[in-house]
Amino acid sequence: MTRWERSVPVYGVPVLTRGFWALLALVVVGLALTAVREVVGIGGVMSGMSDPFAWGLWKTFNVMVLTGLGSGGFAVGIAAWVFNNKKLHSVMRVALLTSCLAYWTGLCMLGVDVGRPWNFYWVVMPWTWNLHSPLLEIAVCMSLYASVPLFLENLPPLFEYVIYEWPQFRGMAEVCEKAMAKVFPFIVALAYILPIMHQSSLGALMILGGNRVNTLWQTPFLPLIYVWAAAFLGYNCTVLCVLLAKLAWKRDVDPVVMAELNKLTVWIVYSWTAFRFLDIIVRGKFFHLFTDGYFSLLFWTETALILGSAYVLSTENGKKLGTMFGAHAICALGGMIYRFSPTTLAFHAKDGATYFPSAVELIISLAFVSIAVLAYLVAVKKLAILPGSNADWLKMAKYEEQVKPGIQLTGYAPVEH
Amino acid sequence: MAKDAIEKETIAQSLKNAGYSRRDFIQLCSTLVATAPMGLALTEKTTPAAMAKSIAKAKKPSVVWLHFQDCTGCSETLLRTTKPDVADLIINLISLDYHETLMVACGQQAEDALNSAVSENAGKFVLVVEGSIPTKDQGHYMMLGGKPALQVLKEVGSKAAAIIAMGSCSSWGGVPSADPNPTGATGVDSIITDKPIINLPGCPPNPYTLLGVVLEFAVMGKLPAVDELKRPKFAYDRLIHDHCPRRAHFDAGRFAENYGSAGHREGYCLFKLGCKGPVTHAGCSTRHFNEVVDAWPIGLGAPCFGCTEKSVGFRVPLFTRVDVHTATPPDTYAPISGSMGKFGAAAAGLVGLAAGAIGGATWAASQRLASSEETIAEEAKTPVGGK
Amino acid sequence: MDMTRREAFKNLAKGSLPIIAAGCVSTVLPEVAHAEEEKVAPKGALGLLYDATKCVGCKSCMVACSSANDLKPDTRIDGIHQAPPALNYFTKNIIKLYRTADGSDHSYFKQQCMHCIDPGCMNACMFGGLRKDAETGVVWWLGSKCVGCRYCEIACPFHIPAFQWDGFNPKIVKCELCRDHIAKGAKQPGCTEVCPTNAVIYGKREDLLKEAKSRIAANPGKYYQSKVYGEHDGGGTQVLYLSRVGFDKIGLPEIGEESIPSGLKYSHMLYKWMALPIALYAGMVAFAGKNFKDHSHHLVEDQKKTGLRPQL
Repeated sequence: MTRWERSVPVYGVPVLTRGFWALLALVVVGLALTAVREVVGIGGVMSGMSDPFAWGLWKTFNVMVLTGLGSGGFAVGIAAWVFNNKKLHSVMRVALLTSCLAYWTGLCMLGVDVGRPWNFYWVVMPWTWNLHSPLLEIAVCMSLYASVPLFLENLPPLFEYVIYEWPQFRGMAEVCEKAMAKVFPFIVALAYILPIMHQSSLGALMILGGNRVNTLWQTPFLPLIYVWAAAFLGYNCTVLCVLLAKLAWKRDVDPVVMAELNKLTVWIVYSWTAFRFLDIIVRGKFFHLFTDGYFSLLFWTETALILGSAYVLSTENGKKLGTMFGAHAICALGGMIYRFSPTTLAFHAKDGATYFPSAVELIISLAFVSIAVLAYLVAVKKLAILPGSNADWLKMAKYEEQVKPGIQLTGYAPVEH
Repeated sequence: MAKDAIEKETIAQSLKNAGYSRRDFIQLCSTLVATAPMGLALTEKTTPAAMAKSIAKAKKPSVVWLHFQDCTGCSETLLRTTKPDVADLIINLISLDYHETLMVACGQQAEDALNSAVSENAGKFVLVVEGSIPTKDQGHYMMLGGKPALQVLKEVGSKAAAIIAMGSCSSWGGVPSADPNPTGATGVDSIITDKPIINLPGCPPNPYTLLGVVLEFAVMGKLPAVDELKRPKFAYDRLIHDHCPRRAHFDAGRFAENYGSAGHREGYCLFKLGCKGPVTHAGCSTRHFNEVVDAWPIGLGAPCFGCTEKSVGFRVPLFTRVDVHTATPPDTYAPISGSMGKFGAAAAGLVGLAAGAIGGATWAASQRLASSEETIAEEAKTPVGGK
Repeated sequence: MDMTRREAFKNLAKGSLPIIAAGCVSTVLPEVAHAEEEKVAPKGALGLLYDATKCVGCKSCMVACSSANDLKPDTRIDGIHQAPPALNYFTKNIIKLYRTADGSDHSYFKQQCMHCIDPGCMNACMFGGLRKDAETGVVWWLGSKCVGCRYCEIACPFHIPAFQWDGFNPKIVKCELCRDHIAKGAKQPGCTEVCPTNAVIYGKREDLLKEAKSRIAANPGKYYQSKVYGEHDGGGTQVLYLSRVGFDKIGLPEIGEESIPSGLKYSHMLYKWMALPIALYAGMVAFAGKNFKDHSHHLVEDQKKTGLRPQL
């Protein structure tokens, strides 16, 4: 146990491990299949999509579900910067990195999924926009978010890398850092308002599905419930990342921060669940909770996974790291299922129509996820992302100074910000 | 054939001389109307009586009939008409001035007959050509009076008012032109290009098609409207398939699988036996042969082999199935909600694998963390390492 | 340093101000918002009236549609017959058969685009790839604006737009009331031109609606619920249906009288003039700015103590 005061890179661990190569192989296969898909089309062997189920795995899982998981950037960020929760500052970089990777791979996946990507250039011409379309809001907002504020928020570790490793560019990097500090509130506020908008629009998407989305999910408040789910998914992801860091690279855990993250997760989940039930009752669909067969079962599964995990987190047992890990994992699973339901699991497209992803579709989907995982692994080992204490930094500095003589990681006089 | 006064005689005069009653003549006209109700200026929008009037006024057309590489089937088909019967046809409606099979003359007399028919009616007679013309080796595979067919055609054809290529052989080469076409057999319109030519492909074609064309020429002074292959539209504008009496069987998916099978006996569609109906233009499905109902290939249970079409007849093997170009719906209907979507075994396996791997890893991680017995409980917050 | 309760309340109050302001703005505007949501059929709206009781299932309309739209017939069933199982990217019109299990009752159903008055597909399309003609109300696809995202397929309650799943340069294909065919000189769409029983007819929506209602009046009890499907369904469609058998049985869903896009009216209210997002943004800039200033001071202090470079 330690007190997290800053971000410290993972040191003394090689980047090119066996796992790395395995994932890289998957990525290569996936990209090759993507190239084939661009030529032969989206149907047939390439995916299990058909007219009744026009959205398969790529849009719904890689984009809708995984960007939900990658909502740590704004969910943790709002708590840290808008509500001044200082305890969360140390995990901001992990949350931001996971957001960045989830969004960038998600947007690439979107580019693979659409059938006529060459027409996407209209996105930069506002006079051609159909302002009624939720998907337009997502396209514009997500692209803007990923390319501007999210990208900028993830630059500081890179600046630091330049400052420490490439002294010849130090001046430039410091200038960039100072500039960023000046406009910091504007960047982060944009980084919070944009995801609130498009994560809720992701929910608005399925409003147009009408009564084909089962009534237990279909509500005019779908946008609100979606963005609220993204919030707890973001927390789940952040916690899982730091706990996995402990497991994989023996990093220390800060009990105060973990307790805070758990507390916020529990609070978000409880309020989310309460709102969901309230919405169902107010819409007069209470009995569907028990009489809708498969759909009722799916609803209760989601609720059990999410609520049950949150409850566990709020007990004494939830303070044990093992239980905490399991609870957050299961909560994330439930949240991901929730985000996946309105488009697929709870979507009754047409009588007789079924959907199951094809093998190729699955491989491509997993390949893009693997790209994010690989990038994450490289980033945490090269850049200061994962949280640690000042003592950890000093240990790291000692190690690095042996491996890279001349590098200066300590002894910096205070500078003006 | 006698030279005297034939040219000047009108058909009415000729028929009257022959003792043909007006009633019989009207009956002939009715037959013609039934044969070609549309597409022939002669028969279109007119009554048999009106038709009779216009035909009666026309002069008997002079017809010269040349045989080249033929089997005489096209002449035979003409003989299988009873309304009018051939005698009437030859003598009273047209003036058949030269026909090797039907004329009495032979030898020198025959040659003289040809020369006089051509010279006396130069520029006015209709030349009917039966049989293909060999072009290889100076065309000496078919000689007429010591001259190759090629030369005869050019000489006689140059003097004709119009040329009718009767049968597939003279239209595009027919049987003699089948692979490997050792004689270089070809149709009339590849040799003569400066005369009005009308092709009546078929093996043989329907005799009333010829009659309609000849009379139209005699009465109206022009050949009927033709398609891009110079075939009269009134007889060749339709596919056998589109007017086949067995079409209902095709649409319902009832096919004869083999000769003599139960389906064959039931009169089912012969498509699977290689029927070329879907790609063959001809009128056989509605106008049968020998004036006997159902006397045509499909009617007798033999698939059409596409005798009128150059790319089909004697080229595509008998049992080879052809493509149906304008597909039409069958007897089956799409259900209101059919099943859609596939469930691949490989995909299912992959999902199972991935789910198992991630689930297992999560469980293992959770256990490993649990075994460290670390907890963030208040009590454990005491000596926190480092500062 | 953690927030005190007083600070928390102060912050909450400060934070609510822009939200309240934006909320007021948004709630004042619903009337305006609602007024512009009201969609009616254009004056010259054209459509079809399909009377299932007159249809004999000859499927000539399917052949005529393929030929009028230059589409090759779907013969994938056996290579010989045109028998698509459903609408697809080369079948814009299909005749389906509803039959009871024991064969005692049946009805045909002609399925093609309904040309809704407030189409879900058009609302969904990001860059206006699906457009509704201002005069005729025909909903048609414009390839140059289509990204191939298939959101229109999700949004259509009648399952009409078909995507070309095979090949490069895929299209979205659906009935466009023979827009091109008529532009080339035809007087009617292919299907209505060949229908031997006039089961499907073409004309102005108001005339077709009158005709449908007069048929109902002249034949009481003949038509299901004495109703014209499409008069109000889904906000009204330009293709109208009469049937003896229940509409849901022949494949016309029960979707109420609200159009599909009307489900988004709350979202539209929230985004009106971008007031709420801008107000929230301003609020968050204010808070983040203040908190960041405090944080920067702490960073400087920490750096003095440890000599480690502060992290932004």
